[in-house]
Amino acid sequence: MSNPFPLEKDGLLEAYRRMKTIREFEERLHVDFGRGDIPGFVHLYAGEEAAGVGIMMHLQDHDRIASTHRGHGHCIAKGVDVKGMMAEIYGKATGSCAGKGGSMHIADLSKGMMGANGILGAGAPLVCGAALAAQKLGHDGVGITFFGDGASNQGTVLESMNLAAIWNLPAIFVVENNGYAESTSVDYAVASDSYVDRATGFGMPGITVDGTDFFAVYEAAGEVVKRAREGGGPTLLECKMIRFFGHFEGDAQTYRAPGENEDNRKNRDCLKIFRAKVTEAGVLNDAELDAIDAEVMTLIEDAVAEAKAAPLPTPADLTTDVYVSY
Amino acid sequence: MTKVGIIANPVSARDIRRIVSHAGNLPINDRANIVLRMMTGLMATGVEEVVIMPENGGIRTQLMRVIDRENRMGHVRFPRVSYLDMPVTCTSEDSAEAARQMHDQGVGAIVVLGGDGTNRVVVSKCGNTPIAGVSTGTNNAFPELREPTITGLAVGLAVTGQVPCEHAFAYNKRLEVRVNDQREIALVDVAVVSERFIGARAIWKTANFRDLFVTFGRPDGIGMSSIVGLLAPLDRQAPEGRRVRLLPLETANLRLTAPIAPGLIEEVGIGAIEKVVPNEVYLPSVSAGSFALDGERELTFSEIDDVSIRLQADAFRTVNVPDCMAYAARHGLHTRAASEALRTAQS
Repeated sequence: MSNPFPLEKDGLLEAYRRMKTIREFEERLHVDFGRGDIPGFVHLYAGEEAAGVGIMMHLQDHDRIASTHRGHGHCIAKGVDVKGMMAEIYGKATGSCAGKGGSMHIADLSKGMMGANGILGAGAPLVCGAALAAQKLGHDGVGITFFGDGASNQGTVLESMNLAAIWNLPAIFVVENNGYAESTSVDYAVASDSYVDRATGFGMPGITVDGTDFFAVYEAAGEVVKRAREGGGPTLLECKMIRFFGHFEGDAQTYRAPGENEDNRKNRDCLKIFRAKVTEAGVLNDAELDAIDAEVMTLIEDAVAEAKAAPLPTPADLTTDVYVSY
Repeated sequence: MTKVGIIANPVSARDIRRIVSHAGNLPINDRANIVLRMMTGLMATGVEEVVIMPENGGIRTQLMRVIDRENRMGHVRFPRVSYLDMPVTCTSEDSAEAARQMHDQGVGAIVVLGGDGTNRVVVSKCGNTPIAGVSTGTNNAFPELREPTITGLAVGLAVTGQVPCEHAFAYNKRLEVRVNDQREIALVDVAVVSERFIGARAIWKTANFRDLFVTFGRPDGIGMSSIVGLLAPLDRQAPEGRRVRLLPLETANLRLTAPIAPGLIEEVGIGAIEKVVPNEVYLPSVSAGSFALDGERELTFSEIDDVSIRLQADAFRTVNVPDCMAYAARHGLHTRAASEALRTAQS
C-alpha cells in the first residue's frame, strides 16, 4: 500500500522520535522532581507533543522560536541537545546554559531556540525581532512564539501582533490551548474568548487546529510557515491540546473532572493516535516504533546519569555569561 | 409549548481555509449577536423557550450577559434560555450530541449557526427534526445568506403552526458515503481526492481532485458545488444529483475556472458530467483516496475497502424561510387592527 502521508518514512520516524523523546523526558522529570532530585521548578509538556513537533518539523536552524515556561518540548522538537537540557534542569555545569538557567531558561541559539521564558508573553517581542532580522537580511527565516491563553492577555503579545501585522513580519503566533490557564478560567480572564478573534482584530488570519493530531498540525503549520517565508506576513495558529500533568509539578489539579487525566491518557494521547495512523496505513510497523522507544529510553537514562554525575557550577561562574558580545 | 433548539458551535469556521483562501472569521461576539437577533424573531412569533448547546468558547457568556442586561432594563424580551446537560469537547462532536439531544427532547426545529460542515453534522443526528441554517461558516452553499432576525421569525411561524407544514418545511436531498461499515452524509457535495489522509481537513489542492458528487449546484454558488453550478446547474429541489469526473489539468480536454472556496478561484480539469439517480450505488473513480464531505476530508479509503456513494431523496427537512414569510404576508400574520394594538398596550 502506498504512503498516504505528507512525509516520507524517514520523516515519519523522525517525527515519532521527537515526540517520544519529549514524552519520556517529561515522564522522567515527573518522577525525579517528585523525588526531590531537581532544583527549581518544572512545567511539563507531556501530552502536547504533536503540536510542538508538527510545527517544528517545518523549521530549520535559521528559524527562530521563543518558548514559554513549559519549554522542554519546544527545545527537543527544535533540536536542542537532550543531554545538555537534562544537565541544565539538574543545574549542572554541563547544561545547555552552564547550569545557570534551569528549566525555564533553556536556550540554544545555534538551533534557533531563543529561550524558554519565565515571563508570560515575553517571547512575542523576541520573535518579532527575529522575524524583522530575517526580513531585513533577506533570508527566508521565520520567528515563532508559543504562548498560552493566560499570556494572550499580556500587552507584549498584543503589541507584538500589531507590530508583526503593520510590518508584515514572518512571525507566527502559536497559542497552545490546553484548556487551563493555570487555575483561572478562560471565561473569566479573556474578554474575547477566542484567540482567533484577536488575530482578526489585527488584520491577520488565525486558524484553529486539533493539537492532538500530528498530521492536522503538520499540514496546517506547513501552510502557515510557507506563507510567512514567502512574505505573506504573520499568522496566529491555535492548537487545542491536552496537558497530561498539572500546570506545575505538585499541582493538585482540583479543577479537573473526575477521570479526566485517565481519559486523556487512554483516548487523546497524541503518540497513540500517531502510532495507530501510521501502522494502520501500513507505512510503519510496531517493531520500527518499538525500536525508537528503546532508543529513547536509553537516551533519557544516559542523560539522567550524566546529569547526576556532572559538576555543579562554581560561585565564580556567576559572573560569566552575563553580557554577550556581538 | 414548542421549544426551539439553537446550535452555535464556536469551533466552526476556524480551519486552514483562513490561510489558503482568505476565508472569513466571524468573531465570537458577533456570533452571540446573531443568536440574539434570531431570538427576537422567535419571541415575536410566540416561541417562549429555547434550548441551546453548551460551549465554553464565549458565546454563552456574551449571550447571557446581554439577556440579563436587557431583562433588567426591560428593553427587549427574549425566550427563556436553558442549556443542554452534556459535556463540552470543544469539537464538532458537540454539535452532533446537541442535535441528538434536541431531537430526543422533541424541539420544533433546530437553528444552526455555521456553514455546510456544521449543518452536515447536525443533520446527521437530528432525525426528522427540521433545521434552519444561519450562514456563519466558511463555505455557505447549504445555508442561505439571510438576516438572522428573519430566520427567527420564520422558524417561530413554522414551529407554532401559524404557517401550515406544506409551506413551512421543505424536504432536501443528501448524499450518503459508506466505507465498509462506516456511513457519513453530505448535504451539498462529496469530493473524492487522491490524498489519503485527513490532516487539516479542508481541500484546496486541485491537482488531487478526482470526482465530485452534488445534491445541487448553483451558478452563483461557492465551494466545490460551484463546479456543477457553472457546468450544468441543478436546483435544490430537482429529483436527481450530478456527478463530475475531475481530471488533472494536463489530461483534461475541458478546463473550468470555479470558486472552489471563498477567495479561491481555481482551474479544474473536467471529465464526464453524469446524472445521479436516487438510491443507486456509485463508486469513486479512484481506488484509494479520501472523501471530502461538504468541503472537508472526513473518510479515507484504499483498495481493500468496500465503498459506495448514494443519493437520498427527501432525506431531511429544513424550515422554508422565504415561503414562511410569504405566507405570513399573504395571510396578514404580522398585522392586527389598531383597536387590538391599543388594548394590548393598555393591558
